[in-house]
Amino acid sequence: MSSATEQTEADTSHEIGHDEYDPIGTLTLIGLYFVVLVLMWFYTYFIEFLGNDPTVIGSVVTAGGIV
Amino acid sequence: MNIHTYEKFWLIGAMVLIVAFIATVTYGAAGLGIAMVDDEGGTIAPDEIGDHDKFGDPGVHQVGENEYDVYVHAYTFGYSPDTIEIPENSEVTFYVTSSDVTHSFTVVGTNVNTMVIPGEIAEITAQFDEPEEYGILCNEYCGFGHHDMEAELHVVPETEFDLTELAVDAPDEVDTDDQAQVTASVTNGMLEDLDTTVTLEIGNETVEEDVTVAGDSSEDVTFAVDASTLGDGDHDWTVTVDDYTESDQLTVGTDDDGDSDDGDTTEEE
Repeated sequence: MSSATEQTEADTSHEIGHDEYDPIGTLTLIGLYFVVLVLMWFYTYFIEFLGNDPTVIGSVVTAGGIV
Repeated sequence: MNIHTYEKFWLIGAMVLIVAFIATVTYGAAGLGIAMVDDEGGTIAPDEIGDHDKFGDPGVHQVGENEYDVYVHAYTFGYSPDTIEIPENSEVTFYVTSSDVTHSFTVVGTNVNTMVIPGEIAEITAQFDEPEEYGILCNEYCGFGHHDMEAELHVVPETEFDLTELAVDAPDEVDTDDQAQVTASVTNGMLEDLDTTVTLEIGNETVEEDVTVAGDSSEDVTFAVDASTLGDGDHDWTVTVDDYTESDQLTVGTDDDGDSDDGDTTEEE
């Protein structure tokens, strides 16, 4: 009985190397999360903030820009 | 240390994101000139705002071609001036201070927004490109009338903008054999000279005089009207300079002579 059980465990489990571990689902989730972050940042800064003209500007920087 | 390949992906990805976020803010500051509100405006004694040469008479001043300074006094519960008019395509610097408690100066629907602290002058510069009417609000709770604290900012087309002021000095009464001196004082707050025409309409007469008012100064135009040509009675007069008018009434001769003489002398001198 016990030898039969040992036989089964030995058949179904095997060790893999470090780089053989392949968490593609985790990578996809994190990638998706990064894409959402980039989109949110783009919306917040370029549309919500910069689109809300006029904006407080520094006269020194503007003067430099004009020159 | 052995780092998994995927782990390297998201570590590097996270660093790239942080660098990208900082880069956009840097681009905003260096490329677009977006600035934070700081303490460069300096300080002012809150109980001596009236003595300040600019805050004493708050309003719009031209400081350069398409550059304007606007001095605003915030108080419970309002702003002085309560209507600010500036031209389009102008760079406007607002100097705002409070004489009592902390307020804010918020141009609604824009990023032009600063806290207004008594004793501090908030200095903010913004570029206004299009004609538009904005509301100005206080968004720092300042007391029971906070919700009524508002002003307006009108950005008008350049052709409709001026800083002209008209004041008229005229007698109320004049003797039939005398002359009425109507003096129109035209003030030009712009830096460029103002070429305009002062028109006096009195009774059925219209008198015009062209005047050139140098930048940031004022000119007096005096019309002498013979009372005899007007005839006895009340005469409405109107002085017009561009879109500005002043009007009142001039009485020639009077029913009781005593009043006429006294009134005349006082008014004319």
